[in-house]
Amino acid sequence: MDIIKIENLVKNFPVGKGFFTALNDVNLNFGKGEFAGFVGPSGSGKTTLLNIIGSLDTPSEGRAIVMDKSVSELTHKQSAKLRNEHIGFIFQTYNLLPVYNVYENVEFSLLLQKMSGSERKKAVMQALEWVGLTDKIKSKPNMLSGGECQRVAIARSMVKKPQIVLADEPTANLDSKNSHHILQTMKKLNEELNVTFLFATHDEKVMKYLNRIVTLEDGKVLSDKQNNLKL
Amino acid sequence: MIKFLIKGILRDKTRSLLPIIVVSLGVFLTVFMTAWITGVFGDMIDLSARYTTGHVKIMTRSYAENKNQLPNDLALLEVEELLKTLNNEYAELEWVKRINFGGLLDVPDENGETRAQGPAAGKAIDMLSPDSKELERMNILKSIVKGRVPNKQGEAIISDNFAEKFNVNVGDELTVFGSTMYGSMMFKTFIVSGTISFGNAFLDRGAIIIDISDAQMALDMQDAASELLGYFKTGAYDDAKADTLKSTFNKKYSLIEDEFSPQMFKLRDQDGLAQYLDMADSMAGVMVFFWIIAMSIVLWNTGLLGGLRRYSEYGVRLALGEEKGHIFKTIIYEALIIGFLGSVLGTLIGLGASYYLQEVGLDFSSITKNVTMMLPQVYRAAITPQLFYIGFLPGLVAMTLGNALAGYAIYKRKTATLFKELEV
Repeated sequence: MDIIKIENLVKNFPVGKGFFTALNDVNLNFGKGEFAGFVGPSGSGKTTLLNIIGSLDTPSEGRAIVMDKSVSELTHKQSAKLRNEHIGFIFQTYNLLPVYNVYENVEFSLLLQKMSGSERKKAVMQALEWVGLTDKIKSKPNMLSGGECQRVAIARSMVKKPQIVLADEPTANLDSKNSHHILQTMKKLNEELNVTFLFATHDEKVMKYLNRIVTLEDGKVLSDKQNNLKL
Repeated sequence: MIKFLIKGILRDKTRSLLPIIVVSLGVFLTVFMTAWITGVFGDMIDLSARYTTGHVKIMTRSYAENKNQLPNDLALLEVEELLKTLNNEYAELEWVKRINFGGLLDVPDENGETRAQGPAAGKAIDMLSPDSKELERMNILKSIVKGRVPNKQGEAIISDNFAEKFNVNVGDELTVFGSTMYGSMMFKTFIVSGTISFGNAFLDRGAIIIDISDAQMALDMQDAASELLGYFKTGAYDDAKADTLKSTFNKKYSLIEDEFSPQMFKLRDQDGLAQYLDMADSMAGVMVFFWIIAMSIVLWNTGLLGGLRRYSEYGVRLALGEEKGHIFKTIIYEALIIGFLGSVLGTLIGLGASYYLQEVGLDFSSITKNVTMMLPQVYRAAITPQLFYIGFLPGLVAMTLGNALAGYAIYKRKTATLFKELEV
């Protein structure tokens, strides 16, 4: 069953008196538990597509249906609720909150869900266990390596047990060893929890882990195929 | 969530300590400046009240019209009876009688011949009654340079300047020449018991201070006085009360057709003080207003910069599913917490510094000694009820407003545009 349906999606951004078309007539479907990625050069529309799926942006034309909800028809509150309950984000620069420790960074999404203290603790510890950071719960982000920061970011995105995780260039700031470690962790979570992972990347290391690769160029889907190079 | 926010505020010094310092400083300066301006103008008014105007003053209608000439022939009569009435009907004031007189001071040599002469600006006050507060009110005890205050009739204190100039020493004799209330010639010899310096040219020039009983005898003013001064027992001038007193007294006792009938004046009515007080009020108001505006802009900017610095954090929070409205609310809560702490701290420090300057004051006597205006020697701050909120409210409002403005951008922007701007 598809949890993401992209139908005839067009996204225009105003530039001067005209428009720049970032996405042009995109049609895609993603099922539950997919481990897929958008690849392509800079400006091909990868991040814009992730933002629309993540309900941070809306289509200019066409539809993006995420978890049976049309993104363009959602109010601000409904969008926030969708993100909070069903979508996790992982960023290139980790974007952890610097004044909070590992535990508190992971806990933040759950505070928005008004979960009880004991439930929160259980969920946070479980998420940190998935990424192997239970011994660092008191550490602040500035005390962690880049790889550890990204693992905290994964735990933060996974703690609420989302249906979809959107990862925008998650390995761009990591060395090869850490990149593999991160990707293995995400792959494991994908397989164990059946979470859909969607990547925007041009890192070949990432591509090797993907089950499905959607290649974008100038806002159009150039190819959409199963990954033969998979590890 | 509130606990989470407080943790963030406490841990992030640039989010808490810096804004708290800026808010405290702004609030402190507002409180302190207000206290200082209020105190300085209050001191000037108080000085005038103590030496010349009282909080209210009673003179005859004719004396009031010509008071610069010290016309004791137009002085109040039957003052003991009038004082009794005033003490009964206006008991919230302490009433004192004073005589002002002009004349010539003559300093004799060992043969009794004139050695030196100079003009005298005489003031007669009650120095010998045991319950009189006049010495304290006119700060005479602290202003004595040599000798002591008179403790019996026939003694006088004179300006230390005059004593120096004419080589008059404590214990020397000095004769005052002038005219009695009835216009005949008066001369009376006094023993100099001490010299005095108020540190102010206006008060020190040719000053001679004698007891009122001596003046009444010498000037033939038994049961008479130039003026009766009333002081509120609270110590503070209350213009509204003074106005009521003046109206009721004048309605009852002051007769237009009788030039010798008593007439009451309040402090504001005398010596152009109304204009001075109004100017003082508006100056203080204008200064405080501009000060508050300036501080509000500084605090507003602090809030704005604090908000802008955390744009990327807001981006992450949006992505994690926090509503824009909720982020905006937390920004306001944080600003309220920081604004409150900074304002409380600034108000406390401001009150502390103002209290210190209220008690100790700043001594400007060395600067004002040659000034011919009647100015205080020591300027003090004054703690008034408005100090408790005059800095507190702008501190709280400006901080919150600054953060609200920064947060408004988040609230109004489209999520997608905002997310891009937030550099996540």
